[in-house]
Amino acid sequence: MESLGNKLSTLLAIAWLLPLFGFVVEVFAMSWPNANRKSKAAAYFAIFCIGFGFVCSSIAFYEWGEGTDWAAFKAVDHGHSEVANAAEHGEHAATGHDDHEHKAATHETPKRTVFSGTFYNLAQFGNLKLSLDYYIDSLTLAMFVMVTLIATCIHIFATGYMAEELVDDYVDHQVHTHDGGHFHRPGRFYKFFSYMSLFCFAMLGLVLAGNIFQVFIFWELVGICSYLLIGFYVERHSASTAANKAFIVNRVGDFGFIIGLMILWTSFGTFSFDDQHEVDGNVNKVTAGLFTMVRGHDGHLDRSSDGQTVLLKNEQDVNGEWHVRKESDPGRKTITYTLLIVAGLGVFGGCVGKSAQFPLQTWLPDAMEGPTPVSALVHSATMVAAGVYLAGRFYPMFVPEVLLTIAYVGCITAFVGATIAIVATDIKKVLAYSTISQLGYMMLGLGVGGWGAGLFHLVTHACFKSLMFLCSGSVIAGCHHEQEMTKMGGLLRKMPITALTMLVGVMAIAGLAIPGTSIAFSGYHSKDAILATALAYTKLNPIHFLLFLVPLLTAGITSFYMFRLWFYTFLGKPRDQHLHEHVHESPWEMTGPLLLLAVLAAGCAIGGEDGKLFKMLTFSEPVGVGQGVDGAAAHTVSLPGHAAIHASHSTAGSAALLAAFIGMSISYLVYGKGVINPADIKRQAASVHAFLANKWGFDDLYDVMFVKPAHVVAKFAAAIDKFVFDEILHTFVRMGIAVSKWDRKFDEGVIDGIVNLMGNSTYSLGISLRNVQTGKIRQYVTFIAVSVVTLFVLLFALYPKG
Amino acid sequence: MNEIGLLVQRLLDETTKTSVGLFVPELVLSGTIVAMLLCRILPLLWRVPAQWIALLGAFTAFAWTLCQFDQLVGGTLHATPIFTGLLMFDQFATFFRMFLCLFLILTITLTVLSGIPDREDAPDFYTLLLGATLGMMIMASANHLLMVFLGVEMASVPSYAMVGFLKGRKKSSEAALKYVVYGAGAAGVMLYGISLLAGLTGTGSLPEIGHRLSLIVSQGAGISDPIVRTIVLASLMVLVGLAFKLSVFPFHFWCPDVFEGAAAEVAGFLSVASKAGAFALLVRFGLAFSGGSAAVSEIAFALGIGIGVLAAATATFGNLSAYGQTNIKRMLAYSTIAHAGYMLMAVSALMVMKFSKHGGAESTAVTLSCIEGLIYYLFVYLFMNLGAFAIVALVRNQIFSEEIEDYNGLATQCPLLCFGMALCIFSLIGLPPMGGFFAKLVIFASVFKATSVHWAMWFVLGAGAINTVFGLFYYIRILKAMYLKPRPDGARKVSYDLMPVGLFVLMICLPTLGLGVLPARFAETFNNVASVLLTGR
Repeated sequence: MESLGNKLSTLLAIAWLLPLFGFVVEVFAMSWPNANRKSKAAAYFAIFCIGFGFVCSSIAFYEWGEGTDWAAFKAVDHGHSEVANAAEHGEHAATGHDDHEHKAATHETPKRTVFSGTFYNLAQFGNLKLSLDYYIDSLTLAMFVMVTLIATCIHIFATGYMAEELVDDYVDHQVHTHDGGHFHRPGRFYKFFSYMSLFCFAMLGLVLAGNIFQVFIFWELVGICSYLLIGFYVERHSASTAANKAFIVNRVGDFGFIIGLMILWTSFGTFSFDDQHEVDGNVNKVTAGLFTMVRGHDGHLDRSSDGQTVLLKNEQDVNGEWHVRKESDPGRKTITYTLLIVAGLGVFGGCVGKSAQFPLQTWLPDAMEGPTPVSALVHSATMVAAGVYLAGRFYPMFVPEVLLTIAYVGCITAFVGATIAIVATDIKKVLAYSTISQLGYMMLGLGVGGWGAGLFHLVTHACFKSLMFLCSGSVIAGCHHEQEMTKMGGLLRKMPITALTMLVGVMAIAGLAIPGTSIAFSGYHSKDAILATALAYTKLNPIHFLLFLVPLLTAGITSFYMFRLWFYTFLGKPRDQHLHEHVHESPWEMTGPLLLLAVLAAGCAIGGEDGKLFKMLTFSEPVGVGQGVDGAAAHTVSLPGHAAIHASHSTAGSAALLAAFIGMSISYLVYGKGVINPADIKRQAASVHAFLANKWGFDDLYDVMFVKPAHVVAKFAAAIDKFVFDEILHTFVRMGIAVSKWDRKFDEGVIDGIVNLMGNSTYSLGISLRNVQTGKIRQYVTFIAVSVVTLFVLLFALYPKG
Repeated sequence: MNEIGLLVQRLLDETTKTSVGLFVPELVLSGTIVAMLLCRILPLLWRVPAQWIALLGAFTAFAWTLCQFDQLVGGTLHATPIFTGLLMFDQFATFFRMFLCLFLILTITLTVLSGIPDREDAPDFYTLLLGATLGMMIMASANHLLMVFLGVEMASVPSYAMVGFLKGRKKSSEAALKYVVYGAGAAGVMLYGISLLAGLTGTGSLPEIGHRLSLIVSQGAGISDPIVRTIVLASLMVLVGLAFKLSVFPFHFWCPDVFEGAAAEVAGFLSVASKAGAFALLVRFGLAFSGGSAAVSEIAFALGIGIGVLAAATATFGNLSAYGQTNIKRMLAYSTIAHAGYMLMAVSALMVMKFSKHGGAESTAVTLSCIEGLIYYLFVYLFMNLGAFAIVALVRNQIFSEEIEDYNGLATQCPLLCFGMALCIFSLIGLPPMGGFFAKLVIFASVFKATSVHWAMWFVLGAGAINTVFGLFYYIRILKAMYLKPRPDGARKVSYDLMPVGLFVLMICLPTLGLGVLPARFAETFNNVASVLLTGR
């Protein structure tokens, strides 16, 4: 196991660090003065780095599978059969399903394998150790393979998409200069790929991180990459504003994250996820990590008798199990329950910002100002999903109250995003809102206790959403940077590959399947998993029935607006004949990745919850999730266990499929067939349309609530600065100037006079010395004799006479 | 008859068993010369390029001297007089021979890159170059007055021819003629001094001179004593011959004219190599007075003060005369005069400390640092001066001019060459952290120690300090032209290949920085050389 851990950490470290190397090389190659801006070398190098990363990740995945004897794929089978056996024996029939699952999870399932360790110690301040750790389980591996694969596809796509930057003089038609012309600048092909490489490095570092502080470092690093990439066309006002907005809104979430970090550090004294092994001399010292302290080996939260304090398990017994220390022990650690909630909410605050959850969702649609490959990689598949990933990674630290918050936030986000997407007409904006909505789904899934379901949806969504973004990129490139769907239409014949791959993506996100068979698109499986969990949850906690109904409705809406996008763009008559004539299918380096991603989008989740992907993910499920939580005793919500969820599957699945078909049908009637004129609906529900088109008024609200007041305060501060502090400074400066004027006179008159006099005199002496060098050889030879005699006479004169 | 036979037998033994073995580097160079001339004669070998033969010979000689030096430091070889005491084989000599061979390699490489001489003349040119180096190596190891003269002449005669090598150019021929005539005059004076000295002492062997002189100089004799007067005159005349090679004021007149007329490569070679040989010889000649009585030491002490005054005058004269120059080679010629002045200060301090009446452990330490400073300076000087001349040669090949004003705005066209030039110039000025700074620092420090012995050294030190400022003005002019002035329209474009040329320039310019940043690495070796020369340990 030791050697497998080393092997995995080495492979993943290579995959992680290669893009950094690529970034450094590309940046330096870029600043070389003779760099050829027309060369695609930077792109090829970036592709090599991330592609090699994919190879390493795949090998790591394979090694891990071999090393654990593919236990992940067998384990769940095994577990299920055991559940069945237990039910047959009827030994625990009285205690209900939850208890069966408990047994199965704790005794029959092979222990999940986590490899953790330290790459490098950054610094140690007292007890505070900051280090670069790794934490490798099946989730890490799945994320690595997913990120590197999608990133490779997108990099290849981008070599075609960004090809117009391969010029010495790029004309940005969207930036107007004062004289009415367009802005000219050198092409930035190199720069794009160097940023992309940096992003890949940061994202992989985030996934590999073994402690929450390291996560934070890379969290910020992906943030800055996102900032750089959104603002790639920095001369465009909209792009630079969007970049600022994204960054600032994320800071709000990160504020919560930092609060969470502070609480964790003060209460736990460590940032590490897993237990830390330290060899001190001959003694092998083990310190408990965050997860161990809170959950121990069985996932149970130890609370004091009044329920106000959580007791932390930081003492290891001889069997290797962790216990709470005795009350008299000075090493005993506790944390108040409220504080644990605040810490969880704080960290989740970071996730809200990064994953564009309500109420911080406003930055993501604006982020579409970046080049489309960026939207595909950063703002749909990877970075925004990092919030969900962190929520999943940090799951053991969340108490039921926090999970409830997560569920509601996700639920609201899913609904809000989906409704706005109905009225959006910019093809990328529709996708952006759909991303927000789907991220809401994932959060909801995690919040209602479906750890596997949420992350399952993360992976499937990454596949089909990056596919759709790349398709939209292909459409945009084909339509010469026209993004408004109102000007498209009838593109199916012009760009068949793009249209058909897009259709695969649309069907996947809508969650279509053939009823009665197991043939379904990936989105169906993952959405079904979430809805099933939500249904099981509402059965346990009937008061939260909205957590099932709203997502179900949203599933219908999703299907509606996604098909609306497809019908609008690819079917019907061309709305802009001039544009239509110039449309062309994209080159192979753009369509190739589309085809590959289409296969993934359709089939990555084959088998659903019995499929390999889901089993692999749930292999890393935190202990205690499987059996659920009965919250009745503690007056909190209850969480469904695996069995309860399993029972809800057929209902939830049928409902979701029905919703999806209804959404698709309406969409077909309105936009495909034209039975109902959308303009009529728009007119009749004008106020609703305006409300939605105004994005529920969030931007206006924030403008009034935060931006305007901030401006007022800023103006006030600026005025104080200008009229009070600057005046004082100016007075000093004026005094200084007066003094230096006098000083200058002295300097110029006296000091310079002396220096110049000396300089001039030495210079003229030097010039006059030239005259000695006459160039006449007769004179030179005479000088030899004269000099010898003179020197001798001098010596004679000065030498002691004796 | 028997005795003569025995003598011959001993001579043969000494020559074949020790001397020839230690003389191999010189023999290799001689063999290389013969090989090049052979190639010229045999039509079959016409196609063999002379520069590669020369380079091969130089490399072999360098490697050999390097081994010898290594063995000397390691203690496998021991310092010994060779060829019946005509030459000295010790660390000091070997270090200079190594230094000269290294410089020979660099010069040949430069000529290959800059394309002077052409194919037709190459064997002649490299014959002269190797011959001159051979002479300088003999100068560095001379242990006898005869070899002093032979070495100087052997180094000079090929140099005359090399200066006039640009056959078609009037200036070149004129320079060569001036060099020959001036050299002949100086050699005449030197030979006169040598014969006087040999006549007085009855020996030509340098280590014995001090002892022999103390036999004829009576205690307390002043200049009114005819013997002392003759000794002073004779030493002065020998020094004149060396002063000619070092272009010390007032025997420097040939230098600007010759450097302007000669090709930059040749000028670079002469400015470094012939100075290195001459300094080695000067140190040996100065130390010849040691081992004598107090009266002899007094003469040497007076000579040391005299050298110090000449050094101060040389540095000042060189720097001031450089002000008005418009030709870069002429300016660099005056700059070499000034640098000879600085290095001469180290020799002056050495003689003053060595022959002062209040000798002791401390004065030995100071003499050590004098030699160390001199060697350090020469080593830095090799790179910075060759670098400057090399860049002048490389630029000349493109713009066909050596006028400073034609260098305007070059930095935009050939940043690497200009960067190299800037490094060399900063080092020549002596700005930290360049090698030139530390070399000057070591020399000035030893001159400062010498001020405790005689007040005149204060004057030398002051001259050294003020000259550092003088130097700033004219060197900066080159940089100003290259970096601050715009390139005039229609000026010839300068382009160069990064691979051989750029690499070569970096290879000779970066050490000026390296020697400044890591002085300790080299100081140890230099200190070792100095201590073996002075104390035999």
